[in-house]
Amino acid sequence: MPHALTDHWKKFLVAGVVALAVVWCFAFNGVSHDDYRQGLSVLVGAMFWISILIGMLMLTMITRVFDAGWAPLIRRNWEHMLIALPILIVIGIAPLAFIPASRHLLWEWTNAGHVLPSGHTVGADPILQAKSWFLNENFFLARIALYAVIFGVLAILLRRWSFAQDTDRTAGHTHRLHAVSAVGIPLSAITLTMLAFDCLMALSYHWFSTMYGVWFFALSIRLALAVTVILTYKLSNGGWLDGLLNQAHRHVLGCLMLAFTVFWAYISFSQYFLIYTANIPEETFWYNIREIDAVTGLKSEWWGVSMYMIFGFFFLPFLSLLPYRTKIVPGRLLTVAWIIVAGALADLWFNAVPRQLTQADLTKFPEGFTVAPFLTSSLFLDLLAIIGFGAVVIAIFLRGASKNETIPVHDPRILESINYHE
Amino acid sequence: MNERNERIHGVACTFRQVSDVFHAAEQVRDAGWKNWDVHTPFPIHGMDQAMGLPRSPVPRLTLLGGITGFITGCLLTWYMNSYDYPLIVGGKPYWSVIFPFPVIYECTILFAAFGTFFGQFIFNRLPHHHHPLFDLPQFSRVSDDTFMIVLEARDPQFHLDESRNFLLSLGGQEITVIRD
Repeated sequence: MPHALTDHWKKFLVAGVVALAVVWCFAFNGVSHDDYRQGLSVLVGAMFWISILIGMLMLTMITRVFDAGWAPLIRRNWEHMLIALPILIVIGIAPLAFIPASRHLLWEWTNAGHVLPSGHTVGADPILQAKSWFLNENFFLARIALYAVIFGVLAILLRRWSFAQDTDRTAGHTHRLHAVSAVGIPLSAITLTMLAFDCLMALSYHWFSTMYGVWFFALSIRLALAVTVILTYKLSNGGWLDGLLNQAHRHVLGCLMLAFTVFWAYISFSQYFLIYTANIPEETFWYNIREIDAVTGLKSEWWGVSMYMIFGFFFLPFLSLLPYRTKIVPGRLLTVAWIIVAGALADLWFNAVPRQLTQADLTKFPEGFTVAPFLTSSLFLDLLAIIGFGAVVIAIFLRGASKNETIPVHDPRILESINYHE
Repeated sequence: MNERNERIHGVACTFRQVSDVFHAAEQVRDAGWKNWDVHTPFPIHGMDQAMGLPRSPVPRLTLLGGITGFITGCLLTWYMNSYDYPLIVGGKPYWSVIFPFPVIYECTILFAAFGTFFGQFIFNRLPHHHHPLFDLPQFSRVSDDTFMIVLEARDPQFHLDESRNFLLSLGGQEITVIRD
């Protein structure tokens, strides 16, 4: 007997499809006018949820490998959601990459005729030629397809055997899932690193950071945990976790949020620190365009975004999560989860949006370029894209919950999970 | 009045069942005892609440250590690079919060770990080389198949006969007076 909440999946699907239709219309209209920004909204919206789902995939496999006693009750919700990951790559990233017009606008390195601020074209760029074994269109498209396949196969396997256990009560499924996760963790680590390289880092192809994959991993886990806190809060107030989610579950989620807040800060700072210390122009320009207005030489809007990330996305959640009571009082934990979601959005904007827009008039634009601004009306389109992709994910989640058990009733550790104690 | 014998450490009482010792602990807590303890061969979930134990105060010393370490790291790097021997390295400022951050960060972690480690010793009153309970022959069974509640003589409520009867009324099996 499916829970009454799951009946809403069709409404979410309709809302998601309508929102995404609007976003795609804007995106294609932008592409036809040589404006990349609306297409970027699709990318930001899709990457926001792909990041959440990758975090949930990693958490699912990590809790499987470590046989986490607290996890089964919460993990089933991740399993319901996981199948949205390959779907989002197909409906969010693939069209942008596979349609030449949008690909050439968003990923400048795919457009040989694109003029750089230096006056040269992309096709004649020796930096790109040196990287062309990796950054070439065929390999790029093959990789995008491969990400969907790898994440899809993992999601299908992790779900199939977990759901099979509900009916045939075989403990062997737990061992099988253990094995799949042990292989899946390193495989996903490589896949998510490459996905972050292709979908975010390659938007600015001169720049490179070897910490980018681990930054994306840290962000994904932070987002996944925050969304899990919000989701389990809803589900324990009138959903299928009513009366099952206890203080110890919140405590463990709160502790993980604190740990990954510190981890994210460690990685993000280290990336900045190494580039700051080495002081190599191919690396520092990436931070320069995120701090200094190329025309006036003053601090730009992006500097404000980076300050928000230091204080609003690190210090605020970090200091809030230190006291024990924040991790166990539902309302407080929920507030911190929303703070993390907002900060993660700022981080995605910070990584995806700023780019050098070539300006030929050197009297007005001494650097030969301007930087794409932060505060534009496209931010609303970004939010609409996030809502659209989010509604599709929620629809997939609720539909999964209506077809399968919402609690893994025959998981060998389900009693341990329900009676979890600090 | 109170016939407190200074040479008496307390009264120990054994239990055979988890549920017995659990409910007995709740009643001792409700009776307002402060200096008492429960000894069990394995952790019993919910015993913290049944005993009315507060959260450990150790995290406060961890935080104090962390803040001390952060300030120490800042002062250390500022004094050396900017005050005592000003030196330009790699074109960076004499002192900013960025280049010495690894030092500041490591000092924070180190002092927070000191706060935790020594805080744990302080609040557990360690080192503690001997305890009167170790003289009790029954105490070795507490690591095997027996549970024990000990009411200590330093508690203001302690009274030898009354405490003994109180423990009997809780369903205790074997009552022993522990001497220092």
